[in-house]
Parts: sequence; structure tokens; C-alpha cells
Amino acid sequence: MSVAESLAAARPRSSRAVAFLVFAVAIALIAATPFLPNYYIRVIDSLLIYILLGIGLNIVIGYTGLLDLGFVAFYAVGAYSYALLASPQLDLHLPFLVILLVAASLGAITGILLGIPVLRLRGDYLAIVTLGFGEIVRIIINNVDWLTGGPKGIARLDKASILGIQIARPVDFFWLLLVVVLLAGLVAWRLERSILGKAWAAIREDQDAARGIGINTTNAKLAAFATSATIGSIAGAIFAASQRFVSPESFTLQESVLIVLMIVIGGIGNILGIVAGAAILILLPEVLREFAEWRILFLGLLMIFLIIVRPAGIVPRSFGPDKLIRRLFGK
Amino acid sequence: MTLVFDRLRKEYGQVVAIDDVTASFAPGLIHGVIGPNGAGKSTLINMTAGSYTVSAGSIALDGKRLDKLKKYQIANSGVARTYQNIRLFDQMTALENLEVCFYPSDVGGTWKEVVWPPYASARRDHRREKCMEILRFFDLQGHADAEAGSLPYGRQRMLEIARALVCNPRLLLLDEPAAGLNHHETADLTAKLAAQRSPDRITIIVEHDMDLVMALCDNIIVMHHGKLLFQGTPAEVQASTDVQLAYLGTANDIDDIRAAAQDRRAQLGIRTRRRS
Repeated sequence: MSVAESLAAARPRSSRAVAFLVFAVAIALIAATPFLPNYYIRVIDSLLIYILLGIGLNIVIGYTGLLDLGFVAFYAVGAYSYALLASPQLDLHLPFLVILLVAASLGAITGILLGIPVLRLRGDYLAIVTLGFGEIVRIIINNVDWLTGGPKGIARLDKASILGIQIARPVDFFWLLLVVVLLAGLVAWRLERSILGKAWAAIREDQDAARGIGINTTNAKLAAFATSATIGSIAGAIFAASQRFVSPESFTLQESVLIVLMIVIGGIGNILGIVAGAAILILLPEVLREFAEWRILFLGLLMIFLIIVRPAGIVPRSFGPDKLIRRLFGK
Repeated sequence: MTLVFDRLRKEYGQVVAIDDVTASFAPGLIHGVIGPNGAGKSTLINMTAGSYTVSAGSIALDGKRLDKLKKYQIANSGVARTYQNIRLFDQMTALENLEVCFYPSDVGGTWKEVVWPPYASARRDHRREKCMEILRFFDLQGHADAEAGSLPYGRQRMLEIARALVCNPRLLLLDEPAAGLNHHETADLTAKLAAQRSPDRITIIVEHDMDLVMALCDNIIVMHHGKLLFQGTPAEVQASTDVQLAYLGTANDIDDIRAAAQDRRAQLGIRTRRRS
């Protein structure tokens, strides 16, 4: 056997080994998390929330190709849903699961409300309008003091519980978030593979030709905005429950940009990439905390470096969950 | 029933691109639309497919008005088309380019596809089977998993026609399908287009390649300055003094047309190479 032949033969096996290694490390990390100090669990919780946000935004940006810079608005809708329905603010104390449902529905509705006016827009124009939308939502929250508490925010939110089990410690949120992230990831991935997902891809590639083969682009885009916003809003509700405090400061443009960056650096249109992107953008600042103001510089350099060496992202679109599964379980 | 243009008109400000064209196209036949550049051939296709609005008059397919519908509704009424400049979904595979055409019939089952994997794989298998059938017809089965944008130009042309045919359209509109193809590919295309003929389908081809048009079409419409100049069989078109005088004219002129077609092909060829 020539060297080239043996290399070719070894390649699938070694890439399968890599896939297994990644899988094993992920399982080990998940298993180890509950035994870490609370500080680390909190960092991991926030990582999971960002992954959830990334999964949501990726439906619009990655799958459908619409650059949405106002995603944080849906995150805020979810967070304030929890804050208003489970706090002394309005003296409402609904159960957590009910609020999750309310947040999800409100998210879908706001998603469609944003979607309708921007249907005709693409690219830069869409980015500008959605950016404005995100800011409008934040400014409204900041100014409707009687309802949202304005810049002071809403404090003393209820402790969350699901079917009598209290969700209060960071580790409780870790398990909750893990389940929600896996579910959202599964739904997003299966949507991508569905006929609707193919239509999203077609819209991303050539909107006009997509209409030409009979795709109602209005409905397909609104479906993308609605599912994406639903996931963002659920992330917001869980975020509020874990912080037990919300204020407009958490929903700035910077957050939207951070989520977009996560997707772009990780691998646009690929859930696996989002996990990688979130890991870098959320964990690295924590690791670099000692270097104080230098860490932004480090992050900037890293981003430039990544965009030069891996312009399609750390895990490109072509290596999606399907491929990982195939590598892991044969065929 | 048929496709009917009734006093169809398209104006761009002062310019009249289509000037009161009335024509009907019977199913089972291949109709050619010829005429010099700027005669309004592509405009006819673009209006029928809903890419351009209609200034006056009407377009009806089997008695149903198309000109009042949105583009996707026209597609869902059984109209499929290809474009003068290829417009595939470049980053999707050849197979996916066809699969997505089942959107109108399958989108209602999206949530079922998401939550119930056996249903999803059954639908997907069903779609893929139909798509592979068409891909095989166009000798593209070996490229099913290749990205459409990475295919050679000739294959892309074929794939675009395959995409138009996958949902078995009632009306097939081809805008210069042979542009940029070499002789061998054009001959192959001619054979494929002849083979896709079915008693229910109206096929309309806008084309500069006179060999292809004369070999393939049952009925030819000659456009001149936005007007319908002549309609007849290939033999009638070639024999018509009207057409000869106005545009096919003398032997010199037919050479001019062939030269123009050659130029156009060269142009498109260069543009494609730059694109890929």
C-alpha cells in the first residue's frame, strides 16, 4: 500500500476518532459541571444562554440569510415577561412553565411584528432597521417606568420552580438550560433539514428565483423570524429567572452584536459552530479576566486571526450536525 | 385549453417593449419565440412568469388570469421557468436545488417533519426519488451531491431546466437555454427538450440558436420591435416573405443572426468562466 493510499484509508478513521474525542470531552464537561464551584457554574450557565441565543438568531442569519442586528429585543421580551409575571412589580406570581409559554408566544408575535415591516429589506438596509428595532425596544423599556421600573429595572423576581421542584441554584439552571439548549438545537437542526429549511436556504441564495419556484417568501421569512424570536424570548425568560433581576442594561446593542459575532466566528449556519463561537466569546473573557483591559485587545486580535485563517467560521457550514452524527455512528 | 396573450402590452415610460401582442399556445407543442435583440422575447417570458408587471392586456393559462397573481402564485399555477443568466441556488447541492421545489406541496407538513423523524424521512425519500428521476434524465445523477455553483456551465444549464421540470409544470418557459453551450451540449439539450414533450405541457423557448429552434419547435412566433410579426411552422417561417423581408431577409441577414447568436454565446461563456 502506498503512502497516499494508507493516508486515504486512515483519514475517515482518524476523523471519526476526532468526532468521538469531541463528543467524549463534551460529555465529560457536562458530567463535571455540577462539581465545580458556583462561580464556574454561573459562567457555564451564561455560556448556555448565549448558545441558546445563537441557535435562535442563526435561524434568521445563518439559514435564511437575513442580517438581524436587533435580536436582543426578543431576549428582552422574554426577560421582561418573566419579570412582570413573577414579581411584586404587578403582584403577579405565575408558575415558571406558564411564563415560558407566554414568553414563547410573545416572542413569536414580536418576531412577526418586526418581520412584517422588514420583509422587503435585505442586507445592510435590513441590518439598520433591525438595529433600530432593538434600540426602540430597549428605549421603551427604559422609559415606561410605571411598568418596567425604567433604568432601575425590576428586582426581587420569584424563584422559579417546575412542577414543585425549585430551580434556584446555578446548578439547577445548568440542567434546565442544558435540556432547553438540546431541545432548541434539535428543533433548529430538524427545521434546517425540513422542506421549510430548504426554502430558507433558497431565499438566502436567490430570493427572486425562490419565488419563481413557488415559495411564498413572505410566509417562509415570517416563519424564520417567529421561530428565531421564540427561542430568543425563552432564553430571556430563563435569564431573568436565573438573575432574579432585570434592567435595560442587559439588552444593549452590544449584546446583539456579540451574538452575531458568535455566529460568524463559530460558523454561520451551523449549530456546532455556534457552540464553538460562544465558547470562545463567552469563556475567553472570563479566562482573561486577570488581564483586565487587555482582554478586549486579545479578543480583537483573536477575531482578526480567526477571520483570516477560517473565514467560514471555526466549524464551517459544510460540517453540520448531520456530518458529526455520520462520523460518530457510521455510514 | 391553452396559454393566451390578449392584446398584451408592456411600456417603459415612452418605450413600448411589447405592442399589443395576441397569441395562443397549445399544449403538447414546443413553441419557439425568435426575433432580433430587443424584440421583446424575454419580456414576454418575464411577464408570463410574473417577473415584470403587465401594462395592459392579459395573460391567461387554461382560462385563469396569471397577470393578476404574485410570482410564487404563478409558479404554483403550474408555470416553471429558466433564466437567461443561470439562477441556481449556488450553495445548495444539485439534489437540494430540485428538492426545494416541493415546498408548495410539502410546507404544510413542516412541523410534522420536525417532531416526527419517520415522517420526515418518508417525505424526504419521496422527494429525493422524484428528483433523482429528473437528474437521471439530464445525466446529472452523478452530481446529485455537488454544490450547484461548482458544476460546469453546461451542467448548470441542464440543472436549471431540471429544476423547472421537477414539479411537472403545465407551462415551461425557457429563456435562451442553449446560450453558452457548445455544439455537443446543444445537440444533447435539443434531444432532452424533445423528450420532455408531453401532451399536457406547453413549452415556450426563446432562443437565438436557429438550428435548435428549427429542429425542435412545432410553432414559431417571430417578434419584431415588440410586435408579433408572424406565427407558423418552421417551414412556413422560413418560406414567409414577410419574415424574410423584415428580418430573416436575405442570406446575409440570416448569417447576421447566426453571428449575433455566436457573439452572445461567447459573451455568456466569458461571464460564466469569470463567475465560477
